[in-house]
Amino acid sequence: MQEVYIIGIGITSFTRLDFPLYEIASFPAMEAMKDCGVTEIDHLFVANLGGGRINRSTGLASAVVDTLSLTPAGAESIENGPASGASAIKTGFMAIASGMHNVVMVTGAERMREANALDATEFVATMTHPLAEQIYGVTLPALAGMFARLYMEKYGVTERHLAMVAIKNHHNAMFNKFAHLHQEITMEGIVDSPEASTNNPYVAEPLRFFDCCPVSDGGACVILANKEVAKKIKKPLIRIAGVGQATDVHTVHERDNPTDLLAVRKAAAQAFKMADLKPKDVNVAELHDAFTILEIAESEEVGFFKKGEGHIALENGVTSLKGKLPINTSGGLKAKGHPVGATGIGQVHEIVLQLRGDAEERQVKNARVGFTCNFGGFGNNVVCLTLVREG
Amino acid sequence: MVEEKHLLAYKCKKCGQLHYPFRMRCKKCGNLSQFQFDTVPLPQNGKIVTFTYAYNLPGDFAVQKLGLAIVELDNGMKVTGQLKTVNPKIGKAVHGKIEVVRNEGFNERYGIVFY
Repeated sequence: MQEVYIIGIGITSFTRLDFPLYEIASFPAMEAMKDCGVTEIDHLFVANLGGGRINRSTGLASAVVDTLSLTPAGAESIENGPASGASAIKTGFMAIASGMHNVVMVTGAERMREANALDATEFVATMTHPLAEQIYGVTLPALAGMFARLYMEKYGVTERHLAMVAIKNHHNAMFNKFAHLHQEITMEGIVDSPEASTNNPYVAEPLRFFDCCPVSDGGACVILANKEVAKKIKKPLIRIAGVGQATDVHTVHERDNPTDLLAVRKAAAQAFKMADLKPKDVNVAELHDAFTILEIAESEEVGFFKKGEGHIALENGVTSLKGKLPINTSGGLKAKGHPVGATGIGQVHEIVLQLRGDAEERQVKNARVGFTCNFGGFGNNVVCLTLVREG
Repeated sequence: MVEEKHLLAYKCKKCGQLHYPFRMRCKKCGNLSQFQFDTVPLPQNGKIVTFTYAYNLPGDFAVQKLGLAIVELDNGMKVTGQLKTVNPKIGKAVHGKIEVVRNEGFNERYGIVFY
């Protein structure tokens, strides 16, 4: 198996972007080619979820490869719900690891804000089980709300802990010029003051507005290569050391224990095993905090903290920018934004910046090992990656 | 007299394992034969495992908020349904009724509502 390196990265602001979807996917690809100086691409994988439904745009990979004047390179679109981005990276990894290709471009994009809020919510809800969940009006926030209520009761997590995740990630996003939300928030403003329930209304009880990620447009790209190509680039060598993916039953009610995220646990275990590393070796991580409760739950399931102790680590500042294991230094989905098809690639973009030492004011000192968790559906299809800096 | 409606579970003809919702292959014995399930009615009574009130709903729900719950039925199986009981709590006993749960134009969808 060939070793796989990330040689180039690019990203757009995560915000509202009034450009066609294929341009949102192509812009970060231009940046990534500039970043590494490599323009000979063997193959493209393009991650997206809603093009067909929201933007009336299908066959995205074919549009992107041509927009970038990269024809006749092979190109495919990859869809795996909110984990489309990491799935596309995993596919690119396999293409190089197998020896089939030397240089692969993985770009992802989403243009959700072309739809109004109701259509966007309904569109995302099409990921739930059509007969056993969707017909009842179950949405992703509703699943997260049910998950959160049980989790909080079982492990003593409070609304304040959830707010701490939001406050931390909004703070981190202040240092990320590409983040969707540049707004510091406070415990007083969203929990304690008499105005808090107006500032921060329920979305799906017990989750409130500031527990949920924004609906974002955006794109992100990484260029992957084998060692021979990577060694010629004058950048720190960043290797994809571990890849893991696992699935779980579709309906949340069919899980023996609805507060377990078994796919996260299994995908993370695979990503660590392949890298021959342990959760304690990680210096910086991007976890899929589409809802604040998920950052806490995933931080336990991937093995950073014991089950039921993630909120204690959060409270003690372990996961803050200056803590022992900073989580979501980019601002996370919560504040950086969640342009679905780009999200998993955006997570890797942040880890590469951190491992290169290019993360500016939010740089984690001496970061050598990074980790990402990209969470599809409500945890029924999860992709985790372990990245290491060599040399 | 109208016969009472039930949600249906799928019982493996080979090993007896119950499934809800439908799946094509038994999760316990992995049987590969066609038409391997009998349908059996699920119990209507159970206890709330967890619940929420969701506010940002798909456009065809003309309500401000919607109660949703996962309920463990008396036979130990769990299902998702709408929740209309007052003062819900985790562990509260509820009774399910089959009703129209969604109206998509002319398409009435039936499902379970817990009271």
